Amino acid sequence: MPLPCRLLVANRGEIAVRIVRACRDLGIEPVAVYAPVDAGAPHVRLAADALPLPGDSPAEGYLNGPYLVELAQRCGATAIHPGYGFLSENPSFAAACEAAGIAYVGPPASVLEMCGDKAATRAAVASAGVPVLPGSGTVDDAEALSAAEQVGFPLLIKAAGGGGGKGIHLVRSPEDLPAAMRLARGEAQTAFGDPRVYLEKWVERPRHVEVQILADYAGGVIHLGERACSVQRRHQKLIEEAPAPGVSPYLRGALLESAVRVARALGYRNAGTVEFLLDGDAFFFIEVNARLQVEHPVTEMVAGVDIVAAQLAMAGGEPIPFAQEEVRHDGWAIECRISAEDPHGGFLPSLGRIDGVVEPQGPGIRVDSGFRAGCTVSRHYDPLLSKVVAWGRDRAEAIARMRRALAEYAISGVDTTIPFHRWALEQPAFLDGAYDVRLAEEWDGAAPSQEAERLAAAAAAAWLRRKAAASVLVSDGPAARPASRWIAAAREEGLR
Amino acid sequence: MTFEIRVRGQRQEVEAGDEILLEPTAGTECWRLVVGGRAVPVRVQEREGRLLVTIGADRVEVGVRRALPVPSRRASARNGVDRVEVRAPMPGLVVSIPATIGELVRAGGAVAVVEAMKMQMEVASPTAGCIEEIRVRPGQEVAGGQVLVLVRAPAPKAGEEALP
Repeated sequence: MPLPCRLLVANRGEIAVRIVRACRDLGIEPVAVYAPVDAGAPHVRLAADALPLPGDSPAEGYLNGPYLVELAQRCGATAIHPGYGFLSENPSFAAACEAAGIAYVGPPASVLEMCGDKAATRAAVASAGVPVLPGSGTVDDAEALSAAEQVGFPLLIKAAGGGGGKGIHLVRSPEDLPAAMRLARGEAQTAFGDPRVYLEKWVERPRHVEVQILADYAGGVIHLGERACSVQRRHQKLIEEAPAPGVSPYLRGALLESAVRVARALGYRNAGTVEFLLDGDAFFFIEVNARLQVEHPVTEMVAGVDIVAAQLAMAGGEPIPFAQEEVRHDGWAIECRISAEDPHGGFLPSLGRIDGVVEPQGPGIRVDSGFRAGCTVSRHYDPLLSKVVAWGRDRAEAIARMRRALAEYAISGVDTTIPFHRWALEQPAFLDGAYDVRLAEEWDGAAPSQEAERLAAAAAAAWLRRKAAASVLVSDGPAARPASRWIAAAREEGLR
Repeated sequence: MTFEIRVRGQRQEVEAGDEILLEPTAGTECWRLVVGGRAVPVRVQEREGRLLVTIGADRVEVGVRRALPVPSRRASARNGVDRVEVRAPMPGLVVSIPATIGELVRAGGAVAVVEAMKMQMEVASPTAGCIEEIRVRPGQEVAGGQVLVLVRAPAPKAGEEALP
């Protein structure tokens, strides 16, 4: 089956823009969908065609699987890309696409079903000979204590029906178990509609490393190298890099080989990510993310491939477009996720209208962005605005370029995580590559430097002066009125 | 112009002369601060009478409530008397007008109170003078930059700075 002529992009924001761009590169007509609040957003403007979504709440339309399938049929699209989030890991949406004769750009429903059941995936992976953390299958309340004692404290309670850091509870002792089980079950029910939970050994200071894999319908599986994702807050990734620093060639080889083995054991198809926890030099499988991931660009930068284009080819039944030996591992790439959150205010979402943007540019910088000046950040969506990716011949060059890019990036109207990233890129633990998942915790105590206070005072004074100049304009009859606009301009300049 | 500025409770007077430059970069909040031969990107947000200034990874809260801008001599008219327009700093609702026509007001004295997003802000006269005209009334919606009050200020004599 050849590439589709028209493809429906069932998402919004930066990932919809990313998919639209891949379509353009391949000569496919991208069709965007949009909730009313997203009319005029970049993913709509860049697409060949755009269709409005119904629904009272803005997120509703992007979650309406049957309607999206109907829209695809109506506009003549023969493929749907779900992006990440929304319907991207929903087996019934993938099945509905297949049933309608539309190519779903992602794993088939059966694989999504398997990967969505975290406990079942763990068991399948363990029997393929890949190490998993000590843990249980899904447990009911009666058997929880004996299962917990087998796993050992401290441990994590995790939702069987979902990931993304939701429904995870740390339990340090047997007394705390019953209450934590109730909380975790409640959260799992709310977030995933599935109250099943399982137990997993807790690692105190792990590093998080994942492997990008591609798998085609002929059974071919390759990896595109690993990514390090240990800069996290509340189990949400903030910074990713490829390759992973501080990983020996031997460990790297074992991780990559294990990831391919996991993909084969699960009968995986299309692009996916196999996630591991590193405890020292020991590694353990955690889960498979059965979708295109937010952090895929760091892999694209070092491997020199277009993962979305590969996804489209594989969804059409073609083999993986390149062999394992053709995948480069060239240089270093770092990604910072720019979210509309206030890092100085507990990372609370920052809502409002963005009234100005200057994106970083220059050698080695890529910005995947889904907003523009005039866009409103609403509470209905994920706060991710854009991703800055820096590539360098080595890690030091990538870090230097990322610092430069973060200094250039100016977003006006909402708070963003840019200041956090500027801080992180100066941390000794980050610079020497020996950081683990606790790095971001250090941020909370960050106090302004004396230099910053001195500059802030100067900035405040200059700001007040400008404002005074703008509000105190003189008029006193014709005599005082400037003779021309040139004089008026010069006068304003003088007041600046 | 000299401004009274508070950083972490410490009061300081900062002279905002030509050696401190603030160039707009993006939107209403992002600027390039050029000071002492250095150019530093900054973001300035106005919050409840304070300024939040973000520089690099740091955010500094700057108190400016009592800041008294001294009008520049360049703002003076030539015929001995200035009429200074006091404008709304933001779009909002006029809550009250403490000033009355003919009343004398000192520089920094409140002439109007404007509310926006449930925050009230005093609008101060930048100059000492006499209230000549009141152009809005309480309860009225005003646009950002709209003239609220006119203050007639005596212009300084040549070679003399205006009195605060």
